Amino acid sequence: MLKKILLLVAIFLLSAGVASAAVSKLTAASDCTWPPMEFIDANKRITGYTIDYLEAISKAIGIKIESRNVSWDGIFPGLLAGRYDLVASSVTITEERRETMDFTTPYFEVRQAVILPQSSATNAIEGLKGLTLGAQIGTTGFFAIEKLEGVTPRSYDEISQAVEALYSGRINGVVCDDPVAADFALQNKTYADKLKIAFILPTTENEYYGFAVKKGNQEVLDLLNRGIAKVKAEGTETQLRQKWVGQ
Amino acid sequence: MKEEKTPLVIAVGDGASIPDPSDTRLVTAWSISVTGALVALFCLCAFSPDPYWTILKFLPDGIIVTFKITILGILCAIPIGFVTGVGRLSRNRVFNLIASTYVEIIRGVPLLVQLCFIYYGLGRFVRMPDLMAAVVAMAICYGAYMGEVFRAGIRSIDHGQTEAARSLGFNRAQTMMLVVLPQAWRTILPPVGNEFIALLKDTSLVSIMAMTNILQRGREYATRTFQVFETYMMVALVYLVITLLLSKGVSLMEARLNYYDRK
Repeated sequence: MLKKILLLVAIFLLSAGVASAAVSKLTAASDCTWPPMEFIDANKRITGYTIDYLEAISKAIGIKIESRNVSWDGIFPGLLAGRYDLVASSVTITEERRETMDFTTPYFEVRQAVILPQSSATNAIEGLKGLTLGAQIGTTGFFAIEKLEGVTPRSYDEISQAVEALYSGRINGVVCDDPVAADFALQNKTYADKLKIAFILPTTENEYYGFAVKKGNQEVLDLLNRGIAKVKAEGTETQLRQKWVGQ
Repeated sequence: MKEEKTPLVIAVGDGASIPDPSDTRLVTAWSISVTGALVALFCLCAFSPDPYWTILKFLPDGIIVTFKITILGILCAIPIGFVTGVGRLSRNRVFNLIASTYVEIIRGVPLLVQLCFIYYGLGRFVRMPDLMAAVVAMAICYGAYMGEVFRAGIRSIDHGQTEAARSLGFNRAQTMMLVVLPQAWRTILPPVGNEFIALLKDTSLVSIMAMTNILQRGREYATRTFQVFETYMMVALVYLVITLLLSKGVSLMEARLNYYDRK
């Protein structure tokens, strides 16, 4: 009996020791409603620029990274609650977000694009006065239109809903990251005929995507930063950009 | 189908629990909840104004829209419910089938799906203003529920009443409007109040249409500040206070309507 107990204790200690030794697998959360950065393809697989980028990082650091689809307005609370190791979902690095999370080095630069109907003649920020604009809730696009004077902001759960609302004429425009705007307004068969990217919102500082980890999770942060550095150095980043964004 | 016995009370599952009007004790589940919610609201705002008071100040326009949708929705749902209820009891086969099919379909589709369908799906063909789309969706959905309330309410009136009215020379319509309905109101009104509260809670679903309501305002705040716990705490308390006060109102109404039943 005593032997058995000792054996069990030994096994327990051993397994605990192995588990705490190193990160063996990372779980990433993405809101897969944001083409071409992260979305669900026809085969119900999570795909996109971010997902490929993660895969490249995974190869570079030799750690498996698993992707999970998580809805946007719950994605940061889930990270803070420890449900996954990182958020890889086109997250712009902002000062407010830095207060609650840590970010990796930037891996993509974005700007806020304004999608308007093709018939619209507006081509500058002054022309937006009096309009109702939509964006996805909790995105930098929504924060931007909240700040615009004379604009009625509308927060949709997903950017596709905002674009659909614009398409059916419920709102006057949509603001979102430029690669996503391009995907909807230029590449989408339904929307391309009626919508256009009118102009880019002028900003005082540049916007960059970073992967977000729980504050103080230095281990994962270092791993990812090492991976990003390698992906950039090897030229994979340029290839991925070509493949998904075309620039 | 339902049993043939006349139901005395119409049980509706999804509303708030209505306090028993004859319960005159000071400490009840209702009084505990309402005191607790109000004290919690007050204390949080008074002792920790940042973030709680800031959050509360962010919600009022959401509360107004919530009430707008609820009141307009219920006002439209009542006539729809009446027609449906009468239709379900009608001996006219076509009328009966239309009403019954409507109820079957609507009760079988989740309200959230109905909202998506009307706002995004139908939006491709008919564009209704946002408030109207929300009210129409709510009215169609709750019209079906209300139909069941009316049906049960009309059923609860003893058939002798109809027989007496008919033998006195009233036609069918007169019998319904002048004899049955005035009596049935007493049974119908409390569950209508109950549905009102249920609808108010369901307005949180119009977030899917990006319409300002209490929940949507809360989510906008939470996604910007990451004060998730604090925000949803306030949202929950605001909803709770509103529904508790309304359920007391329904209870008082029930007590007045039960005037003749008092011992």
